[in-house]
Amino acid sequence: MRLTLEENKELESIAYQIRRLSLQMITCGQWGHPGGSLSMADIMAVLYFHTLRVDPKNPKWDGRDRLVLSKAHGSPALYSALALKGFFPIKDLYSYCQIGGIEGHTDMRRTKGLESSGGSLGMGLSIAVGIALGVRFKELPRARVFCIIGDGETTSGNIWEAAMSAAHYHLDNLITIMDYNKVMAKGFVWEEMGIEPVREKWEAFGWDVLEVDGHDIDAIADVFYKARWIMPRGKPIIIIAHTVKGRGIENCEFNYKWHTQHPSPEEADQMLKELSRRYGKPEQGYSLLAKNKKGCD
Amino acid sequence: MPEEKGMANLMMREVFGLTLAELGGKHADIVVIDGDLNTSTRVVHFKKAFPGRFIQVGIAEQNMFGVAAGLAATGFVPFPCTFAVFATRKALDQFALSICFPKLNVKVPGSYAGVPTGKAGPSHNSLADIAIVRALPYLRIAAPGDSNEMRAVMQTAYETEGPVYFRVVRYALPDMFPENHKFEWGKGDLLRKGSDVTLFGTGLMTSRCNEAAKILEKDNIDAEVIHLASIKPIDRDLIADSVNRTGCAVTAENASILGGFGSSVAEVLGETYPVPLSRIGVKDMWIESGGIEDLFTHYEMQPQDIAKAAKEVIRKKENKK
Repeated sequence: MRLTLEENKELESIAYQIRRLSLQMITCGQWGHPGGSLSMADIMAVLYFHTLRVDPKNPKWDGRDRLVLSKAHGSPALYSALALKGFFPIKDLYSYCQIGGIEGHTDMRRTKGLESSGGSLGMGLSIAVGIALGVRFKELPRARVFCIIGDGETTSGNIWEAAMSAAHYHLDNLITIMDYNKVMAKGFVWEEMGIEPVREKWEAFGWDVLEVDGHDIDAIADVFYKARWIMPRGKPIIIIAHTVKGRGIENCEFNYKWHTQHPSPEEADQMLKELSRRYGKPEQGYSLLAKNKKGCD
Repeated sequence: MPEEKGMANLMMREVFGLTLAELGGKHADIVVIDGDLNTSTRVVHFKKAFPGRFIQVGIAEQNMFGVAAGLAATGFVPFPCTFAVFATRKALDQFALSICFPKLNVKVPGSYAGVPTGKAGPSHNSLADIAIVRALPYLRIAAPGDSNEMRAVMQTAYETEGPVYFRVVRYALPDMFPENHKFEWGKGDLLRKGSDVTLFGTGLMTSRCNEAAKILEKDNIDAEVIHLASIKPIDRDLIADSVNRTGCAVTAENASILGGFGSSVAEVLGETYPVPLSRIGVKDMWIESGGIEDLFTHYEMQPQDIAKAAKEVIRKKENKK
């Protein structure tokens, strides 16, 4: 299914804003994971502004799609998408990592729109399996459960326990997206722990596998459409999204040092200016936004 | 279901399994997740009655607890059913972060808790489970003392919004409570009024405290017996009020004495009314394989051991005067 040019432009703009907001909230909180937030910004934009059937005015609507962010350190991208979608005010993002504010990873009791709590890697896919079973028990055939996992996260045994059970229960309402940004916390995935052959592993576990360029808005929208409407045939579906860790900021791209490192306000200013140039937008740095921010100096 | 009175002769795991099936009949939102242990935990009764709400995950406890979280998030009341040792050691991170942190409505039975588990040794005997899960915020913890209380605890657990952990033993227990017994979080039961020493029991050890009180009576020692099935929250008022009168205490638990029930009571005493205290339970050691009563004797957890400890704390109390 093709996007119109206008839809594509709109989603590109949303992805741009998710990248900006993610960097800003990480700078405000002086904590966070820029690399893994930037790598899934395009995926988040398409999910929340094209694919997911969710209603910010009625976040607990039973028939909704559910998204479990298993790689919960990428939470800034999720929080930014939720705020842009209208689940809560954008200014709330700037309370990131401050007492009473938005939690560093994910706290479903605290933030509207979250479907799980997380932060310890390997655990989210099991939660998604439970939700997919629950959605099936409730006979909600149009609802889908999406789960975003990291590439390094698949070195965890819990992922494969979950993968095995999803296939055993034929959960074709479960769509997992692997943000394959090639970089873990301390180095390249292939240096830390070889996870290849990825496709063959998931196929062997009984999953249908799709692959996509995780920064091509059109291709992402198309693959999500396929996974929701075309593919389901009694097998869970995984989309291997090939992405770039730190996508959008040259110094961060494929650079493990920006897995956890947070920018200083000065660095953030440069990063945000670079981002606006790259998107062909009017140059806008960190300081310009400082006026609007709350909960950080 | 067997007659209520017949339950007294059943092992607690059987009472648990039958009660779970009974609750399942009343409440369509209960789902059971099994880790290839249903004939041991006795959730086989639920499996037979409600196969559509029975989920097998295999020997994958981490997945089991994550799946439970997901089902709870969708509005169900999951019971992930495995041995206490696996629930609290293999799946602890999932138990903590996926279930307790978001305060999800999951009920966790810890089967084969403590000493009477068979001869499997430290891989299957759970001695540290109370201590391990006691530090998890939002979690409520119970150790029922007889069949009727097991039923009451499970009923209350279902009615309580949020995560619950309760111990199930592979052991039959004498009746202590009537059929209409009610269990309430944070409320203990004064079973025997006394003035010389308080014996605080939880789970299967309370009936041994009752036996110890009878032994002590022969030596003209008047022991008070208090049953604390609710380990968290614990009945602070009842504990403090009792020792205020008796002046010394013994705790008894079917678990390690490190960080568990006895420690909970000690914390309350330390903060309210410090008195000489002795804790009965497995000391700082891994369990041997052995016959059940042999193990209780080996770890000094028989009624006479409780009585002996009571005499020691009474002596310490007298010496302080």
